[in-house]
Amino acid sequence: MHRREDMVKQEKRQRFFNINDNIDILREILKRLDGPSLGVAACVCRLWRSLATNDDSLWEHLCFRHVSAPPAASVKSVVVALGGYKRLYMVCVRPVLSRLGAESESDRRRVRRWRREEVPVAVVVQLSLSLFCIDSYERLHGNNNNPATASSGMIPSDASASSLMFLCNPINV
Amino acid sequence: MKREHHHLQSNLRDPSPSSMPTPPPPSSAPQPTSAAGAYSGYSIPNGTTSADGGMDELLAVVGYKVRSSDMAEVAQKLEQLEEAMGNAQDGISQLSNDTVHFNPADISNWLETMISNLDLPPPPPPPPLPQQHSVDSSSSSAAFLPQTESSTITTSMDRAFEDSSSSDYDLKAIAAKAIYTTASASADSLSPSSKRVKPSPAESSSSTRPLVLVDSQENGIRLVHTLMACAEAVHQNNLPLAEALVKQIGFLAVSQVGAMRKVATYFAEALARRIYGLYPENPIQHSFSDMLQIHFYETCPYLKFAHFTANQAILEAFQGKNRVHVIDFSMNQGMQWPALMQALALRPGGPPAFRLTGIGPPAADNSDHLQEVGWKLAQLAETIHVEFEYRGFVANSLADLDASMLELRPSETESVAVNSVFELHKLLARPGAVEKVLSVVRHIRPEIVTVVEQEANHNGPGFMDRFTESLHYYSTMFDSLEGSVNSQDKLMSEVYLGKQICNVVACEGVDRVERHETLGQWRTRFGSSGFAPVHLGSNAFKQASMLLALFAGGDGYRVEENNGCLMLGWHTRPLIATSAWQLATKSVVAH
Repeated sequence: MHRREDMVKQEKRQRFFNINDNIDILREILKRLDGPSLGVAACVCRLWRSLATNDDSLWEHLCFRHVSAPPAASVKSVVVALGGYKRLYMVCVRPVLSRLGAESESDRRRVRRWRREEVPVAVVVQLSLSLFCIDSYERLHGNNNNPATASSGMIPSDASASSLMFLCNPINV
Repeated sequence: MKREHHHLQSNLRDPSPSSMPTPPPPSSAPQPTSAAGAYSGYSIPNGTTSADGGMDELLAVVGYKVRSSDMAEVAQKLEQLEEAMGNAQDGISQLSNDTVHFNPADISNWLETMISNLDLPPPPPPPPLPQQHSVDSSSSSAAFLPQTESSTITTSMDRAFEDSSSSDYDLKAIAAKAIYTTASASADSLSPSSKRVKPSPAESSSSTRPLVLVDSQENGIRLVHTLMACAEAVHQNNLPLAEALVKQIGFLAVSQVGAMRKVATYFAEALARRIYGLYPENPIQHSFSDMLQIHFYETCPYLKFAHFTANQAILEAFQGKNRVHVIDFSMNQGMQWPALMQALALRPGGPPAFRLTGIGPPAADNSDHLQEVGWKLAQLAETIHVEFEYRGFVANSLADLDASMLELRPSETESVAVNSVFELHKLLARPGAVEKVLSVVRHIRPEIVTVVEQEANHNGPGFMDRFTESLHYYSTMFDSLEGSVNSQDKLMSEVYLGKQICNVVACEGVDRVERHETLGQWRTRFGSSGFAPVHLGSNAFKQASMLLALFAGGDGYRVEENNGCLMLGWHTRPLIATSAWQLATKSVVAH
């Protein structure tokens, strides 16, 4: 009697598809999410979280989503060297897009030069890469200051990587 | 009497905005000059008139010209007035009981009291509002008010707009507007003998507090006029007058808010330096000015715009070249080059070999600051796999350079670009320097020369023209800074600009290095030195527009294209201009 019930249960289980057992399909799905959704997905379970944080290709797809031509292979090595696609997205692409009102309806309050559909994404990517590089440059050297050289006018370490400060929104504490 | 004088003096001894020495304790004898000294809070030695023609500065701010020597008399008359009001019938006595002496320096408290106690009289006073103090201790109303109706005190306003340069002494307002009240016809009967009645605001019988109103918009206009008058005085070498005016500017500036206040303060400081001959020491701490420039870089888009547009032009000029060499006249922190290296790394076909020569002034503490910057850039280049070579040159002036020092390689193997951001105008201080530098650049035979300069004419021969131009220019610059978020960065940027203001206004000759010239003037200069313009492409325009849209004040910034050059401006006023040049003998590169 018991064995028959167990077998029925096992069959049922095999008929239901568990996404966590098929990580490649999961990856394909996550690749198509937008930024906020990807962040939400990272809160689902440990597996999803490790995918979202460690798998940079997800973020790569996010960055180049609307660019018509696929980016050159060299882009990947440069971006990885400068800090990775996730960081590129968080630090540059997302603020740029939201400032330009291209990401969400809630950004409509800013007067924008481009309407949402028209944002020239290629220029966004170019600009983001440049800003990202400047940011990496500052971070690379912001922490290398010792007091002896700080007086010679280099970027003080507590203000390191602040060239992108203009992209941050002010927070009322 | 003495008691009241002390009271008066202690009221009037205000901490004035600029830090003045504490006044001497109230002297017993109410002599005119010592009272003036104690009153105004400056240590004016007895018997000498102060430089402003003897007028009291504090009252001058609000519209009255009263000689400091007469202040004691005015105080006496005020007390008499108070007495008279106490004795008079018809309920005026309530005024003397209810009046409160306000310390003119304690403006915020006074305003609060006004606002909380104010009962508006039934006919509201029509605009424009006059400049008046009523029964404030610094009021100079010196007439007895004979039997007037208790409900309203009307005024006859006489006004004359006067420049403080006239030494006409009378209790005349410097600038004021008329106020008419609906009630009484006894207005004209109020004028007593020698002095005009100072206007007091209309009151209804229910209101007990006198109204005191200061019009800050009018102060703004007066501030500009005073700035111009002071500059004119300096130009004509009328130093006593200029000194008085400069102090006035200081007071007027405090009544403003925002950008106007800061601009006025910096210009006042520069004028003061010029008057007193305190030219700023010239080498400014290099590390300090570096730090200021870093904050300026972060706060506002001007430097970023300059870098991005120049990089775009250089990138396009280096298309297809395998070995490239950039000579940077404005090395500073090298913030321009990471973005160019990244763009070179990502270009189709792979990055070229990138060589950078940085030229800068010697560091004050003898550290090899240029080498450090080069080392940092080298690290970045290694990260993104760009072959990198660096050389740093220390030079006091660009004119000291020679093409042979730069170790140029033959042009078949290496293409050269020359870059200068806000550096070329400094050469105009010495005759012949800029021509020499341009000829050195010609010897280098570059593919492209990128130049970014301020778009203003601060190099005219006449001081007044320079002053006016720079006043407009820096007002616009400060306006554009107002939108920025980080207040410390904003402050640093303002100090950075303030140094430039100081140089334009206070220095002369070789010391005056901020000799900005307009794009048109640079075009002529480059054209006559054998260069032809290169048009900056639409890609540069798009990138620049997008960059500006990201800044907090993004709506105010404008990118304009001017015959192939890009100009960044705030609303309608262009502020900086990027242009690109190549040797005139070369054929135009198709974009």
